[in-house]
This record gives sequence, C-alpha cells and structure tokens, in this order.
Amino acid sequence: MYAYRTGIIIAATLVAGCTAKVENHDNGDTGSGSGAAPASGGSGGSSGSTGGSVNTGGSVSTGGSLNTGGSLNTGGSSGSTGGSLNTGGTGAVPNVDCTQMVKPTSQIPRLTNTQYDRVIRDLLGLTALSTGSVPSNLLATDQAGGLTELGWSAYNSVGEQIAAQVIADPTLKANFLKCTPVAGDATCLHNTVIEFGRRAFRRPLTTEEIARFDAVIAAGATITETGTPDEIAETLLYMFLVSPSFLQRSEIAGVADGAGNFTLTPHETASRLSFMMWGSAPDALLNQAADAGQLATPEQVLAQAQRMLQDPKARDMVNSFHQYYLLMGAGSRWNTAKKDPTIFPTFNTALVSEMTEETLRFFDKITFSGGTFRDFILSPIAFVTSATAPFYGLNPASFSTTLTETNLDATRPGFLTRLGFLNNFSNYSRTSPIFRGAFITKQILGIHIDAPPPGAEQTMLPTGPELDTVRKQVDAMTMGADCSGCHQGYINPPGFVMEAFNSIGVWQTVEASTNAPIDTTADVIIDNDLPVHITTPAELMAQIAQSPGAMRQYAAKWVGFAYERESDPMDACTADLLAAKMTNTGYTVMSLIADLTQSQSFRVRAVEGLQ
Amino acid sequence: MIPMNRRTFLKGVGGACVAAPFLGSVHEQWAKAAGVPAAAPKRLVIFFTHNGCLTNRWFPTKTSGTLAAADLTGSYLNVLGPLANKLLIPRGFRSLNGYGQGQTIDPHDQAMGSKLTCAQISSASNRYATAESLDHTIAKQINPNGGAPLVLGVGAASTSIKEVLSFSGPTTAFPANTNPQTVYTQLTGVLGTGGGGDPVTEADWRVARGQSVIDLVRADLTDYQRLNMSTADQGRIQNWLDLLRDTEVGVNNPTMAAACTTGAAEMYGATAAAVTAASPTGKITDGNVLGPRGTAESDANLATSFTLGTDMMQNLMALNMICDQNRMLMLVFPGYITFNWDGINHTHEHHGLSHRTGDFTVGGACGVDGVLDMIAQIDTWYTGKYARLVNLFNSIGEGDGTLLDNTATMWLPELSDGGAHNLNNLPIVIAGSAGGYLKQGEIVNVDSGTPQAGNSEGSCQNGGNIGNTGSSGGNLPINKLYVTLMNAVGCTENGMPGGPKVTKFGVFDGMSSATAGISNPGEVASLVAAPT
Repeated sequence: MYAYRTGIIIAATLVAGCTAKVENHDNGDTGSGSGAAPASGGSGGSSGSTGGSVNTGGSVSTGGSLNTGGSLNTGGSSGSTGGSLNTGGTGAVPNVDCTQMVKPTSQIPRLTNTQYDRVIRDLLGLTALSTGSVPSNLLATDQAGGLTELGWSAYNSVGEQIAAQVIADPTLKANFLKCTPVAGDATCLHNTVIEFGRRAFRRPLTTEEIARFDAVIAAGATITETGTPDEIAETLLYMFLVSPSFLQRSEIAGVADGAGNFTLTPHETASRLSFMMWGSAPDALLNQAADAGQLATPEQVLAQAQRMLQDPKARDMVNSFHQYYLLMGAGSRWNTAKKDPTIFPTFNTALVSEMTEETLRFFDKITFSGGTFRDFILSPIAFVTSATAPFYGLNPASFSTTLTETNLDATRPGFLTRLGFLNNFSNYSRTSPIFRGAFITKQILGIHIDAPPPGAEQTMLPTGPELDTVRKQVDAMTMGADCSGCHQGYINPPGFVMEAFNSIGVWQTVEASTNAPIDTTADVIIDNDLPVHITTPAELMAQIAQSPGAMRQYAAKWVGFAYERESDPMDACTADLLAAKMTNTGYTVMSLIADLTQSQSFRVRAVEGLQ
Repeated sequence: MIPMNRRTFLKGVGGACVAAPFLGSVHEQWAKAAGVPAAAPKRLVIFFTHNGCLTNRWFPTKTSGTLAAADLTGSYLNVLGPLANKLLIPRGFRSLNGYGQGQTIDPHDQAMGSKLTCAQISSASNRYATAESLDHTIAKQINPNGGAPLVLGVGAASTSIKEVLSFSGPTTAFPANTNPQTVYTQLTGVLGTGGGGDPVTEADWRVARGQSVIDLVRADLTDYQRLNMSTADQGRIQNWLDLLRDTEVGVNNPTMAAACTTGAAEMYGATAAAVTAASPTGKITDGNVLGPRGTAESDANLATSFTLGTDMMQNLMALNMICDQNRMLMLVFPGYITFNWDGINHTHEHHGLSHRTGDFTVGGACGVDGVLDMIAQIDTWYTGKYARLVNLFNSIGEGDGTLLDNTATMWLPELSDGGAHNLNNLPIVIAGSAGGYLKQGEIVNVDSGTPQAGNSEGSCQNGGNIGNTGSSGGNLPINKLYVTLMNAVGCTENGMPGGPKVTKFGVFDGMSSATAGISNPGEVASLVAAPT
C-alpha cells in the first residue's frame, strides 16, 4: 500500500503525466481494485470506459473529453436507425452510430454465486440451506475460468441438498411441482419437465431435451432408493440444478444481423433484461413476453425495463451499483472512519455504518422518486437519526434511532456534504483535503490522475506558525515540482472548498486548533482543464451538477456495471450517448438505467475470435 | 461384488483404470505413455502469508551450510528444529515488479499479481495479473487429468487482487476456496471405505443415478459443442466434458487408493462433525485495509475460520494428496486481518501493524505502542501453522518415507519486511525434498555475497521513527526458484514426459517489469541434491 502520510496523498506529475482527460479509466485512489462483483453479477469492479473517439458527421465529437463547446443539436433526426439511443428525454439526441461498437462476449458465462442464490430464491423460494447458510456458501469461489472439479463437486452437492429440501417442504415443493405426481404415471413429472425446465433454463426446452428428462423419469426406479414419485421428482430437480443450461446464461442463437453481430432470441433478451435489472431469472410476465415474441423492438424491451425497475429487486441492484460507483465495499474507505476521542468526543464509531447507510438511502430515494443525476449533487434530502443530528446542526429531539428523511439547508447540497463522505474521507485527527479532493476529482468528475511515484509517501506534512490551517499545510507540502501538477491544479482545490466541513462533517468556519479562519475559495478544474472560481461548497456542487464530465463518469460507470465487464473502449460509444442525454434536464436516473437496454451492445452480441 | 468408491462408476476389476478415450491434457498423454503412475507422485505445496515479517527474527544467524536444529534457536524457525534435516532455506531470492520497477499501480497489488506469474498486472481496475500463475502451469503438467490446482484460504472469500495469488489465465483470477465443507464434500466422493463402513456396489442406485447425471449433462454439453463458438468458449465446454469423463473413470492412482479411506480422513481430523465446526455458515468479517469492521458474529466466524479452519484446510490438503486428487496445492492467508485468537488480542489489522503505523500510512513515527511485539505475535502464529502443516505431512507414511518427503512444502511470503515493502532476500523455507530432488538440511545463499537478514527492528521502540527496516542483497530473480521447483516435481520444458528440464518461467526476470524476457534462465543448481 503506497499510502498516504497521515492522509495526505503525494501525487507526482512528471512520471505519471497528470492530465485532465475525461477518460474515466481511473483505478481508485486507495488502490481498492476490489473485484467486488456488481449485483448483476459480473466481473470484478470495472471503471468507466476509456475515451474512444466517436466522430460522426455534424454531431458530438467525443475524443478524449466530452466537448461541449459546440451545440449538441445534430443534423441527424432523432428518429435514427438502430444503434443510437432513441428514447425519451427532451432536446436532441446525437446521431451516433454504435453498431460496430459491440464488445465480444462469452456465450456461456456461468452464474455467479450471488446470481445462483437469487435464481434459487426466485425459482423455488429457497433462501437458506438447512445448515442456515445461503446455498452459495458451499459453492466454489467465483472464477471466470473453466469449471474445476471442486466447482463441479460443489454444484452437485448443493444441488442435491436443495432438491431434498424443496421436496421435503410443501411450500417449496409447490414452486417446483404444479401437479401431484402419481406412481406409475409419468404425466405430472413430464409436465414438470416442460414447465419447470422453461423457467430453469430461461427458455423452452427442445424436444430432445424433454426426451432426455423423460428418460430419467422412466428410469426412476433404478436411480432412486425406492422409486417413489417424490424421490423421482427430487432427482429430477437435482438434475436440472446441475445442467449446464441452468448454470450457464447461454446466448447461442446463431443468426447474424448483417452488421457483423448476432441477434438474440427473445428468451436471451429476457435473460439479459432480468440479469441486468434483478441479477436473477425472468419473472412470469417477462417469460410470457418472451414466449409471445414481444421483446422484438427496442420499445417493447424498454417497456419491460421500466416495469422491472418498479420491482423491489431492482432497488437491490441500484443499491449495489451506487456502492460500486462510490467505491464502497471490501477494502474501501467507507465504513472505516476512526477519530481521535480527545479532539472529537462526540464522535462514535458505531455511527459510521449508519452514516454510510444514509448515503445509500439518499441514492435510493433520489433514484426511485424520479430524480436526476443533478439531484445526487444538489438535493437537500438527508436521512438523520438523533445521534447524527448534532453533526448536521439539527436538534436530536426531532429525530429517533432510525434514519428519518429530512431536508437540510442550502449549505448542504447533495451527498458530498453528507456525513458518510465527509467522515470517511478525513483523518483521525483532522481533515484530509486530499482524500476528499481526489475522490471528487477522480470518482465524480472522472478526471484521470496517475499514481504517485515511489517514495512520494515519505513527504512530511510541514508545520509552522504561518501554516495555521490544514489547507495551508497541504498546500505547502504539495508545492514541489513532483507534486504540483496534480495537486495544485486538480486534487487540492475541491478538497480545499470542502474544508468548510471538519473531520466529523460538522460545519466549521475556523480551524479548531488555531482559530485561524477557514478559506473555502479555490479555482477548481471541473471540465476541460478550465478552472472555475469557487467560494463555497454549494457553488462547487452547482458546478459539478452540470458538469458533462461528471455525467459521463456516472454514465460510463453504469455501462460497465450493467454490462458486467471492465471498461472497454467499445463501450465508450454507449456511455457517450447516455451522457449526452443526461445533459437534458429532466432525464431521470431511471430513464438512464432503462436506456441501458436500448444500446446496440445490449440488443445483439459479438463473438470473440473464432478458431 | 467388489466395493467401490461412490464415483468410480466404471472401475474395472482389479482396480485398473478404464482407458479414457479422449486424453486432453499433457498429463493424460504422459499417463497413457507411462502406464500406471508411480505410487508416490511429487507435489508442490505453497503456504503464503502477507505483509512480511520481522526478518531479523525469521532468518537463523547462520547464513549458509548444513542446517541443524541448534542453528534454528533464536529464530522463529526454532519450532521447526526437529525437522531441520528436511528443511532447505534458500537465501537471496527477489520477487518481481516492486512498486516503481516498471509499474506504479500499488505495491501490494503488484506484489500479489506478479508473485507467481512473474508478469505485470493489468491497468484495468481489477489489477489482475496478465499471465497464468505457476500453480496452474505446474498443475497442467503433473495433476491427475491436468486438473486445476487446489487453492485454499481462510477468512472471507475474496476476488480482490489484494488476496488473489492464483491466475488460471491472463486477467482471470482463481480465488481461494475458503469453506472447508466444500473441500471435504468433494473428498467424500472419493474416499473409499477401506473395508469398513457402508460399501457401495455397482448395483447401488446411487451409482446408477450418478451415471444418469453424467449422461444428461454430457448430452447437454455435446449440444453446445456443436455450436460455432469462440475458441475460449469451446475450451470451456471441453473442460467440463473432461470433468465428467474424469468422474467416470474414477480414482487415478489405484496403488494409492488403499490409503485413501474414510479411516484416513478420521485419523487426520476430517470427520463430518469437525468439518462442520470449522466451516462457519454465516458472514465472516472480510479483510479491510483500513481496519476492522465486523459484527460480533462475523468476527467470531473469522476466528473460527482462522483457528479451526486453518487446521482443517491443512488436514484436507493432506487427504487430497493421500488420495492423489491434487499435486499442486496452496494455502493462501488473507492480509488485512485483525488477530483476535490463540492468545492474540489486537485492535489493529496485520497490514497496518506491518507498516508500524497501525494503518495504511507509510513512514514517520511508529504509531502503535509495542507494535514490534504485535508483529512478532503474528509471525509466530504463522510459523506455528507452517510447522503444523509440515509435521502433519511428515506424520503420514508414504513409500519408504513420509508424505513430506514427496513434497516441496514452501513458505512463500508476499514481502520481506512489511514496512519497507522490500522484495529482496525473501524469507523462504522449503520442507521436503520432492522425492529426493532438493537438498535437505541446508541453508544456501543463492545470490552472490551474503544477503542481509534485514533491519526490521532497527528502531521503532515506542514511538520512535520507523527508519529503514529493509535489507540489502539477495536479488536473484525468483523465476529461478520456480524453475527449480518445477523440475523437482517432474515438469519438463515442453510438457512431454522425458522432455528436457524446465529452464524458464515467467514473462520477465529483470529489475523492471517493463522489459519482457528471461535473461537468467535455468534452475538453481545449488539447491538441487547431488544425484545418488
């Protein structure tokens, strides 16, 4: 861990090249590289896509940064052909052709362990094994390589346990069997093969597949202990749960679309929809739509996406996304705040997770009440308890032990002025303008900052009578030639503006240890390497809220998360389109999520190198 | 009717393996050419710990020559005294891609990703290694059916680069399995009854059901095989088909099957009840670079996982080897853990302690009173677990010697000193000769001169400055150690039986990871026993 000298990041400029490209391929300032899988269950944590250049006639030229110098009104109409986002929003949509920008994907990704648990829950109603753990507790750790013997053994063992539990429990049993099997008559089990198989494989079974399972039923007496209908049913269920077509999210339709890619069947589209929105298998309505061929047009897909966003399962997904966007999770800075009790006697470590939870509730509230990206940065909403109220300057008596929604005053717009961010991106005994500034610069504005050179962490924080605020100390420390390029121009300024809040998130106007006045003015680079003069946090938030770079960063993060892959230049096209739509006021977050289903990357698939 | 293992559906009379028609892996071809494998295969076992140690307490004072028990007094390794004649301490290896030596992403991420790959890490946010790791290279050559290595760990499962050591391919992590129950379950399909218990015969419905499952799954996979998918996807399908075939063919080493019994499992502590006790079903506190953040329950589960779980994983590793299910095994401990068991009661996590500051900060004053003693406690705990592993292997008879003799069981560290983050003169010890290949009872300086044991305790007594806790010397690229070990367990350069010795491993071996190529090929002759 190259780390920080008591919270001060030492960045270098010469070796690293500190530029303000809105490239969004940032690696996280603490080197979290957490590999935490997005809820839709894909690869390790990915960042936004790199800035590919998509330059079509007369429309948005993106290059490395989103160039808003010109108008977004394009020559093309908004009724463009497949490949461009064409839904909702007001104002013009750039006519960008993303047809060729479909990243090749595996046709047979295995369910992740989290997806496995959800699918079992949704198909069968089973949420825990009889030992008390979730089913995936006994599976091999997620890995994207070939199935191992340990992994295969685990699928078999867990499949057996689930099957036994389901048959033994009448409620669960009814989720598997929609009829009562009778000895000597295969009808019910045959129908179960068709009905449950449809749900388990996320598509209708072929006649050959049905015949294979029928053969299992016919052999029931020899492959079960005593050959009872229940025993045969249990064996049938177990066999479904170890079938490759259950364990893999297959995309195997081989029909070319004429543009070098392959179409998806309606069932494959339904599967993509449900795993994106819920991290699980389709529900009955989605299955019906797929069976009836009603997922053929982008509009039909959009309608389903919008419906699915209303389901509670989508809230979990959105929550997981925002944890990913904010770099929460194992190895992150969130939930770890510790404060010096002599300096901050009112601080209590037990509050830390509550403060982080407030931030997640904030994002959930904004998203599902029709909010926009701007609202994340500007909304006065907070979720307060009687314990956290004093930090906000509120009366504890007005609150309870549970997080309660309220509005804060105009000094606290958006999540960056909430206790979660302020506390966790601070130090034990004082603030850290560098933690806060680096997070804002990299994670929110999407400005790429390279890692510091070796030895940078040995730089001492200077002290002295004239360095009577943390700001002045940090400023002096990062003046050197190796530091100033990244720190003076990019990292420090937003952090200095946030000095209005002390280490525990309380509003401050003087430095507690010296009584020197807090100076929150700074020239902050928001977009395009252009500094903007800021005097208060509220002004900073106003700038961030309308920053094309910040919007693109948010959009790009969604693309990586939703498509379950590391940032890829080919996804830049989709991110650019979504980012452009975000510049229209009134384009809600939910619209953005739904529009993720409208891209070419979602509607077709591309194949990795063949033999 | 001959009693059979539950999953040996097509085992022939007398124990001969049914010839497998499709031999996909190198090892398969070898087995076919060589006939029934030798009774005592050679294995590599890697015991991996994070955050370095107090190197001056780890290294014996003696720097080269014959190693006797007395030479270990005063060092952590003292507890290994009785086994001194089976130890090999190679002094002077350096692992690669230190921060600033070609990449400046993160010292720990680079240390982990490059450790067993000798390749750079990816600049994508997962920071995974860009090449396959040593354990997979070896497993493909020497494992039964070329199966994957057994990579085990304790604590919460993690896919973070900070905890992943094994890579099955470029940027494809192979995270450790941390649930003993999962590992035990796989073995219960393999363990024979050894004459006692409940014999399973060919006529058993379970055998018939097992065959039925294989047939069904194989048919499904064969459908996939007919599709025109990418090479990678076709490989995945073939891989799964191979697994099914292996399940059918059954125990790969009939000579060893006699030892692979439920009785052996019980003898080495792996009973169903003990495994359950060692396998928490609830959440386990995960590692965090910035300090502990679990609940009482998840912290208790973490303690169970580290105490009962470590021991059980070791027992299961022994059983896997006795049953010849795997010849390439690793036990990878997590790095950001607060120790609260076995008499240790810390409030800071290991990584922070290793920095002497108590958190992720580097340099300056020692931030925790008694930090060196705390580090020593953790070092001692790990040494004890390594000793337990080695003694366990040594307690199991195999051929004319012990299981240990047929392994190279190596303690490999992430770093030398955790404060200095240095990678030179890594504290490495190997127990077992891998069937006579490696020297025993010796300390060998593999690099020129005498690499220093290091300055881990130079200062930092109660608030003093940390200073330089590193060491100088000892920069022989670790690739050469890996090459030596590959040869020790029977790998060849071209993967063919009887092929030439391995001379190269990894993408680079220079001081900068940016320059590809192996400039110093070959094994380290001074580690190899003289032929008898």
